Amino acid sequence: MSATTAPARGTTPRVRTARAGFSATLGFELRKLRAQWRTRAVLLGALLLPIPVAFAIHAQGNPPKDSLFGRYATTNGFALALLVLGYAGQWVMPLLTAIVAGDIFASEDHHGTWKTILTRSVSRGSFFGAKTVAAMGFAILVLLILSASTIVTSVLVAGHGDLIGLSGQLIPASQAWHLVAMSWLTAIPPTLAFTGLAILLGIWSRSAAVGIAAPVVIGFVLQLVGSMGSAEALRPYLPTSAYEAWHGFLASPSFHGPFVTGLIASAVWAAITLGLSWTLLRRRDITGG
Amino acid sequence: MRRIILTFAAAVLVAVGLGGVAVATSGGSTITVPRLDRAVATSFSNVYAQESAIEGHTGITPSSLQAKAMCDRGPNVTQSGPGATWNCLMSWSDPNTPMPPTGYGKFELNVHSNGCFTVGSPSSLIGYQTITDRRGRTVNNPAYEWDSCLDPASDDTPTGTTFPSALTVTSTTVNVTADGTVGVDLACGVGAGGCRGSVAAVTDTGVKLGTVPFTMTEQATTHLKFPTALPAGAKQVTFTATTTTGFAPPSPATLAVQG
Amino acid sequence: MNSAALAVDAEGVVKSFGAVRAVDGITIRVAPGEVYGVLGPNGAGKTTFLRMLFGLIRPDEGTLRVFGRSWDDDGTRVLEGVAGFVEAPRFYPYLTGRQNLVALARLDGGVRPGLIEEVLDTVDLADRADRKVDGYSYGMRQRLGVAAALLREPRLLVLDEPANGLDPAGIRDMRALVKRLADSGLTVLLSSHNMDEVEEICDNVTIMDRGAVAFHGSIADLRAMAPDPGHLLDTTDNAKTLEIAARHQVKTEADESGALHVVGPHDAVSGFVADVVAAQVRLKQFTPTQTPLEALFFMLTNTEAVAR
Repeated sequence: MSATTAPARGTTPRVRTARAGFSATLGFELRKLRAQWRTRAVLLGALLLPIPVAFAIHAQGNPPKDSLFGRYATTNGFALALLVLGYAGQWVMPLLTAIVAGDIFASEDHHGTWKTILTRSVSRGSFFGAKTVAAMGFAILVLLILSASTIVTSVLVAGHGDLIGLSGQLIPASQAWHLVAMSWLTAIPPTLAFTGLAILLGIWSRSAAVGIAAPVVIGFVLQLVGSMGSAEALRPYLPTSAYEAWHGFLASPSFHGPFVTGLIASAVWAAITLGLSWTLLRRRDITGG
Repeated sequence: MRRIILTFAAAVLVAVGLGGVAVATSGGSTITVPRLDRAVATSFSNVYAQESAIEGHTGITPSSLQAKAMCDRGPNVTQSGPGATWNCLMSWSDPNTPMPPTGYGKFELNVHSNGCFTVGSPSSLIGYQTITDRRGRTVNNPAYEWDSCLDPASDDTPTGTTFPSALTVTSTTVNVTADGTVGVDLACGVGAGGCRGSVAAVTDTGVKLGTVPFTMTEQATTHLKFPTALPAGAKQVTFTATTTTGFAPPSPATLAVQG
Repeated sequence: MNSAALAVDAEGVVKSFGAVRAVDGITIRVAPGEVYGVLGPNGAGKTTFLRMLFGLIRPDEGTLRVFGRSWDDDGTRVLEGVAGFVEAPRFYPYLTGRQNLVALARLDGGVRPGLIEEVLDTVDLADRADRKVDGYSYGMRQRLGVAAALLREPRLLVLDEPANGLDPAGIRDMRALVKRLADSGLTVLLSSHNMDEVEEICDNVTIMDRGAVAFHGSIADLRAMAPDPGHLLDTTDNAKTLEIAARHQVKTEADESGALHVVGPHDAVSGFVADVVAAQVRLKQFTPTQTPLEALFFMLTNTEAVAR
């Protein structure tokens, strides 16, 4: 390699691109994510939002009995954390992941930077992989922060007494910690399915607005479909249903069938949405920017 | 902008498509009578044992209750799937609280599409929302209302638990019609097989007004009309129901003649 | 890699967008070390061609090799030793100029220490490198684009209208920069709609019009093909001037205002004007209307001289 900005002459072909590859591309994507205020806002929101929510629910005179675990949400921290989980799965988690996943491809269209990055010897496949991994990693990180913040806040606000489970059984606090944490972790697979959906919509629409809002809207529609009595056969295969797979963990005897089904359904949703995304991106003519 | 509109159009199409598939494939619900029977009895046993412990009744464990439930979505509907019309009749054995003559209590269920359900208890047997514990404090009654969820893969073989419908006389007075005859209103409650039998009416003056047969489905009401006109001077009529199906009221109903 | 390979070897390249043939069978060959211009009016297909070169869009037909490599056979290895930009360079507005370069350097697999400062210096952005690109002027972005390209220490530099949208001083600086880079031995492929720019910088040129090649050859060939220069002449006695013109190898024509359009070889026009002055006719106006190459460009691309 020559020592000036003058041409790099010589007989040694440069092979740095082969080494740059995936990890450099991932590093590049993470660098950009870190620099964006929306990324920091989502992380901060996941950390802080559970605090006012827990206090607000705890302050209710009448517990929100219509929701699962709402009955004891004002008197038991574990129940409160599970009540929040029930709400979060309805739209908060799809939204949190879509804010980054729906934008991570569309922002290159928005800024006209596809040509900037694709003229640097990095393949579309590398970018697709790096952006997908970054979006999914971010989704998991946000969920972990949201889970930890909600559980800790709930227990601090409403106490850690024994929890009445979904078979009416008493769950001692020592076990409740474990079950509540596990329940929150079951939100990861469906959230990754929504990440895939947001990536697909972001790539297809080339608009961050669609990439972010549409998955949330579709989530609502799927929930509606799932709540129709006539759609019961379809229900287990919706990513929105996988958000309720934790119910089985709180029953006695506990059951994990819905969790396994939800895991498979989420994987299939993610595979289909990512497959379509790659098909769209791979052959696209980059004419903008 | 065009892409945004297209996106939402596609989303709507997908939703309609999914809905169509859903309707086309709609068939067996995982919410079935045997699963509800078991889930309700199990969860009831747990919360009832907790209530007993709070109230200081010793020796009550979930298994000692031997709770058995028969769930029923109501007449003329498929006996499966989510809904707010589910009822469960349940019997259990607690030496502190004897069962009513019918031998069971009626619990009301609201079953959601996700397989979770809320059970409301009969307060005559379970008490109210708050109870008094051994130390005199007012605490929440865990058995008053509770939430539970069904395992969609749990045992779906029928439990074989059946309870008869309870027949009740719902009239509170005797009204004389223009042709001088009288009638009585009956209701058949939740239960297996409905109600079948006859009602005999006798005045306080000892005149027999007749015996009229009836056949009712569960959760139905009917009006029986007696053939003999009410004689002058009768102030009360006693209705005695006997059943071949269903649980007849343990004592005859004596109602005052109106006007 | 074949060291004898052409820097760019495009043959019969076709690209259509719907019914529009944006590039219609273009053949362009750029030898290593050459400074090559692709000239054409806006919409001639220059940018589409460059996008295909960078693999941003796929040609419908034809072959395209860069240093002997093709997208079909070598994937992104085509771009090894190649840098530049297509249309206005774009960057992440939420990062500073330097952060953009650092991030892009990471995609290149890292650069040697000090190179980022060096390229910032080269494009004269060192003092503004730590401002967010969001606040950059058009010219600054254009220069950052050149810096980002130089970061790759390319053997082939592809610049699409580098002076586009710049003010006169910016245009002068940009041309000087490109010239300097070209003089350093880099192969440069420059697209432009400005004949002067290409004439000033390039050795060889392809003139494109509506997706096809209208002229292909060296700047010297182009000059030889150029028509005689034209001048607008107005004098105190145009009638007498026309008489004098008849004795010279010039074509003279009066326009509606009475002023004369004089077209002819340079020497003939000089002799003619000298005679006019000698005949005691005073010149009120004597201005060149268009340079020969401009005239040729407009001729070749069927565009109107008035368009400028």
